[in-house]
Amino acid sequence: MVHYIIVCRSLTYAQRTAKALERVGITAIVMRPPADIVGESCAYGVKVREKNLSAALKTLKEEGLSHGKVYLLRPGGSEEVRG
Amino acid sequence: MIYFDNAATTLIKPEAVRRAMYSAVGRLASPGRGGHPAAMAAAEKAYECRTAAAGLFKVPEPEQVVFTMNATHALNIAIKSLAGAGDRVVISGYEHNSVRRPLNTIGAKITAAASPLFDEEAAVAAFDKALTPETKLAVVNHVSNVFGFVLPVERIAKLCRERRIPLVVDASQAAGVLDIDFQRLGADFVAMPGHKGLYGPQGTGILLCGRSGETLMEGGSGSDSRLALMPEYLPDRQEAGTHNMPGIAGLLEGIRFVSRLGTERIARHEKRLLGAAVKAMKELDEVELYYAPDIHCQSPVLSFNVKGEDCQSVAEALAERGIAVRSGLHCSPLAHQTVGTYESGTVRLSFSAFNTEQEVWHFVRELKSIIHHRS
Repeated sequence: MVHYIIVCRSLTYAQRTAKALERVGITAIVMRPPADIVGESCAYGVKVREKNLSAALKTLKEEGLSHGKVYLLRPGGSEEVRG
Repeated sequence: MIYFDNAATTLIKPEAVRRAMYSAVGRLASPGRGGHPAAMAAAEKAYECRTAAAGLFKVPEPEQVVFTMNATHALNIAIKSLAGAGDRVVISGYEHNSVRRPLNTIGAKITAAASPLFDEEAAVAAFDKALTPETKLAVVNHVSNVFGFVLPVERIAKLCRERRIPLVVDASQAAGVLDIDFQRLGADFVAMPGHKGLYGPQGTGILLCGRSGETLMEGGSGSDSRLALMPEYLPDRQEAGTHNMPGIAGLLEGIRFVSRLGTERIARHEKRLLGAAVKAMKELDEVELYYAPDIHCQSPVLSFNVKGEDCQSVAEALAERGIAVRSGLHCSPLAHQTVGTYESGTVRLSFSAFNTEQEVWHFVRELKSIIHHRS
């Protein structure tokens, strides 16, 4: 299953982001992004399924929740898809 | 034991607080310190607590809820974020040492907007006069921890907003008893303990933040670890070091308890106890009682003295009869100076949601007995 991760500026903000998505029925999991995304800098992100990404980003925009870059999670390394 | 020292700490807690703390030990690790289940469970618990507090105090975003060790810690962050050496700071005449001492330590120039006890108009007038263009900060105690005087904090906040003066509110005795609307207040910071009216355990406090503020402590935040300084964003900026997860888990249940009952219902119950105590005690000629003619400006904290008796002796005599009260200056010499009880101190009763009218009547009987045996 293909997943994307929406990077957030803090753990609390990632939690808030995930709650906002869950409220509209989008499964969102708070997690630490792989090191190739954020290095060893202790960041957090929200993982969503590929099919939910557009709806998730739309929801965050509507809720006024800003976010960091969006990455496609792959076994061999992540790929930035949106700034 | 009858426990009437709730203004210091509510000793009797909802059972859920104890259970949550017990469950937290061995199950909740450190939020933001890993992606493993125990760290994420801790993160979830901390977030639930922030959200519950944000809901109770009408804070727009949970990030604005910062966990502290107690109200003193929260007040130190707030005060040292907004004032420095030589700055003119206006405070009420009812401030606790947790306000006065940090201000003195940083070398602020303090103006006490002192006003008579239980006189709201005079309190507003005192601030109106004291807040000048030179004022860098105002600090207001929402409720006096000695006399229960509810200061008209919303009106004072309005004055501060009109004059663009930052405001810190000490809600130590108000949180969990009075309605606090952070957004409406427009304060820069509101500080409160977790272990009084919010029924959490000791070692917990909350700072509601209208701005990030300056750091009081620096260290690990579990975020942006490559930065040499603390992150700019809340709550991470103000939460250096490992969180008190058993405390936060307990505090969450305390806040849930308050939210479930509602501050209005809690206040109504405690004011009924206050009213019963006042009614009985004002009949005693030997008692000097500090009560508001209009009960709406007194929170359930009641100070008194037995004429000709040292307040400590009265408190000791009550303790021997199984009644816990507090005596002395209550870490608020300024409040005692304002009211004229600096030399004597007072005996203080303070109620919680778990006290009953029967306990008040028992207290009054024991007080009468103490007075009788004295004479």
